[in-house]
Amino acid sequence: MSAAHSERLSPRAFWSGVHLVAARELGAAFDSGIATIATIALTLLASSIFMNEFFLTGTVDMTPFFDLLPLLLAFFLPALSMRLWAEEKKSRTIELLFTLPIRPLQAVLGKYLAALALYGLFLACTLPIPVMLCALGAPDLGAIASGYLGLVAFGALFLAFGGLLSALARDQIVAFVTSTLVGFAFVLSGEERAVSVLDGLFPALSLGSFLREHLSVLVPYGEFVRGVVRLSAGAYFVLLSGFFLWATALVLERDRA
Amino acid sequence: MISVEHVTKRYGATLAVDDVSFRVERGEVVAFLGPNGAGKSTLLRMLSTWLAADAGVITVAGHDAQREPLGVRRSLGYLPEHNALYETMRVDRFLAFVGRMHGLAGERLAQRTRWVVEACQLEGVLGKKIQHCSKGFRQRVGVAAALIHDPPVVLLDEPTHGLDPLQVALFLEFVRALGKEHAVLFSTHVLSEAVAVADRLLVINRGRILLDSPVAAMHERARAGGRTLEAELLELVRAAQQPAGVGA
Repeated sequence: MSAAHSERLSPRAFWSGVHLVAARELGAAFDSGIATIATIALTLLASSIFMNEFFLTGTVDMTPFFDLLPLLLAFFLPALSMRLWAEEKKSRTIELLFTLPIRPLQAVLGKYLAALALYGLFLACTLPIPVMLCALGAPDLGAIASGYLGLVAFGALFLAFGGLLSALARDQIVAFVTSTLVGFAFVLSGEERAVSVLDGLFPALSLGSFLREHLSVLVPYGEFVRGVVRLSAGAYFVLLSGFFLWATALVLERDRA
Repeated sequence: MISVEHVTKRYGATLAVDDVSFRVERGEVVAFLGPNGAGKSTLLRMLSTWLAADAGVITVAGHDAQREPLGVRRSLGYLPEHNALYETMRVDRFLAFVGRMHGLAGERLAQRTRWVVEACQLEGVLGKKIQHCSKGFRQRVGVAAALIHDPPVVLLDEPTHGLDPLQVALFLEFVRALGKEHAVLFSTHVLSEAVAVADRLLVINRGRILLDSPVAAMHERARAGGRTLEAELLELVRAAQQPAGVGA
């Protein structure tokens, strides 16, 4: 009886552990300069892509920005997630971490939230774009807010499976490559051309259409970009992200057996 | 404080720890002695809950390692073999991180930090990043992190590795003092270190405990046989390594 009590964590103790891991992770990212360089590079790239589109079309609309960003993020987010666990394993600090009184799920959530905060910093750096649009005209602020919500959901999913692949890999490069491939599978399975090719290859199965409907991130993300916030799209991101986080904790637990 | 009963661990086809049992009580310093690959680190890793045993029961300060890993971790300070630390963190921030993970805060954290900094002589490197510390200081940072929450049980895996002779002497003196109020289990393959500090020797080879004896009794036995302690232990390990039937 006392044994079971001693292992029970109060919500406060649980989130305190998550917070400590997240704070350490964020500090390490800024100490090593990775966070600063990645955020500046991505902000410059994303902003220049938007400005190019903006000068070509001349409309106060962020849809082209939201449409183009997933491809860019399919590279950037694996670069953020690749180090989450592969680095701990390579440097052997994982033994230090998991001999502290913390559950794997606390560590997984802590690192995940830290990565999400870094991604949030990047998104915050793109906010001058809607501010500029507001100064120049009257953009659809609801659609912009919904688009940003879609970007948050998109990043949450990519960082979740990136963390899982980092936990499965022994090396950051392997984690990056596999996360990028899986990320592109999530994105490209929603592209019309990829869907047509796959449907043509397997006409009996309609594989391309099946993958677009059931796997692709572009379908639920597209709803956010169009300004439609539906429960099904939210559930897609929340359930898949939750599944990957849970699987990461399981993988880390299994590694110690 | 530490109870290991019939513990076994396999890595694939390799039997790393084979039906091992022993106990360590509070106020006792026990040295785990054995050649490389004998199973010392595997046993310490199972005690620290980093590895799970395939069979047997491990209890630390009354907590079952399998069912109550968090209770075990709160009760012990562990210095792993490779002493991997978060390189980019400053020493003071690293100690605060480990202390907070153990639930320390406020004045208690400050008090324990002062104690470990003084005990491990870390005053000069507190503001330095760990990656800029020398091997000796890194080892001391690892020990300080292991002791910051004042655990009743201390596990040290090859703690003198990389230290110079003076640092080794000071460290062994420190372990000796630590053993007055804690249960200390430390692994080494240097007999002189084990004999200098430990109350009891656990000699392990190929995953099996060959000897569990007080150091004084070992001295007595060696003297009675007209041999040095080193020769006595060497003979023990040699006999254990002989294939069955040889010399019979």
